[in-house]
Amino acid sequence: MTTADKTVLILALALIAALYAHSWAPAPAAESARVSSAGKPDLWLALGADREVVIEGVLGPTDLEIRDGRIRFRRAPCLGKHCIHSGWLASDGDFAACLPNAVAVQVVGKGTGFDAITF
Amino acid sequence: MSVEFEVTREDIRIAWLTALALGMYVLEMAFPSPLPGFKPGLANIVTVAALVCFGWATAAWIALLRVLAGSLLAGTFLSPGFALSLSGALASLMVLGLAVSVSRKALSEVGYSLLAALAHMGGQIGAAYCLFIPHAGLFKLLPVLMSAALVFGLLNGIIARSMTQVLLAK
Repeated sequence: MTTADKTVLILALALIAALYAHSWAPAPAAESARVSSAGKPDLWLALGADREVVIEGVLGPTDLEIRDGRIRFRRAPCLGKHCIHSGWLASDGDFAACLPNAVAVQVVGKGTGFDAITF
Repeated sequence: MSVEFEVTREDIRIAWLTALALGMYVLEMAFPSPLPGFKPGLANIVTVAALVCFGWATAAWIALLRVLAGSLLAGTFLSPGFALSLSGALASLMVLGLAVSVSRKALSEVGYSLLAALAHMGGQIGAAYCLFIPHAGLFKLLPVLMSAALVFGLLNGIIARSMTQVLLAK
C-alpha cells in the first residue's frame, strides 16, 4: 500500500464512522401526536405540557396521558386493552390504536415518515 | 453492401477482460447474500486491474459492458436491479476518473479499489433513494453497507494488485 492508499483508507474509515454516528443517532424526540377517532376530524396534541385528554370513541371515553413528551393510552373501554399495552409512544412515527373504540394515536416529530416499508 | 468493422487490439483486449469480469460476476451470483446489497463485487477486480494496466477508458468499457451483458445473463436487463447496478458502475467510474487525474499514480490498486467500492455503494444507495425508496430510513443501511464495501474493496484491491503484477511482468 502506498501512502496515498493509506490516506484513502483512513478517510474511508472516518467517513464510515461519521455515517454510523449520523444514521444511528437516537430518533428525534416527539413534538406532537395526531389522534384519529372515527367520524371526527384529526386532533393534534402538543406533547410539551403534561396532561390527560379524554377522547370520545365508538364504545366510550378513552383516556390519553401525556407526560415528558410522550403519550399513552391510559384507560380504554375495549376488551383486549392492546392499546394500553402498547405503552408509551415517544419517537417520531410511533403508533398505537384501539380498534374496538376506533381511536388511533400517532406521534409526529420533524417529518412524517412511513410506519413500515415493504416491497 | 457489407459493412466491415476494423477490430483493433484494444477491442480484443476489452472483450477478453469483459469476459473475465462476466465470469467473476456469474460466479458471484452463486454465493448466497446475507442482505440485499451485500456482494463482494469481484468483477471490480478486473475494472481496477484494467485501469492500472491500460487506463481509464478501457476500464470504463469493461465496467459498462459487464453491467449490460451481466444483466442479460442474469435476466435483469432494465429491471430495478439493473438501474442500481448501472448507477453504481457510473459512480465508481466517475470517482476512478477523478482519482486517476488527481492522484497521478500515487494510488495503487488497493486505493483505487477502495474508492471504486465505496463510490459503487454510494451511487447505488443514491439511485435506490431517488428511484425506488424515497425514505430516509434507507440511509440507516448506509453505514453497514459502506463497511462491507470497505472490506470487500480492500480485499479486491489486494487481488487486483497481484493480478496486475502478473500482467505487467509479461
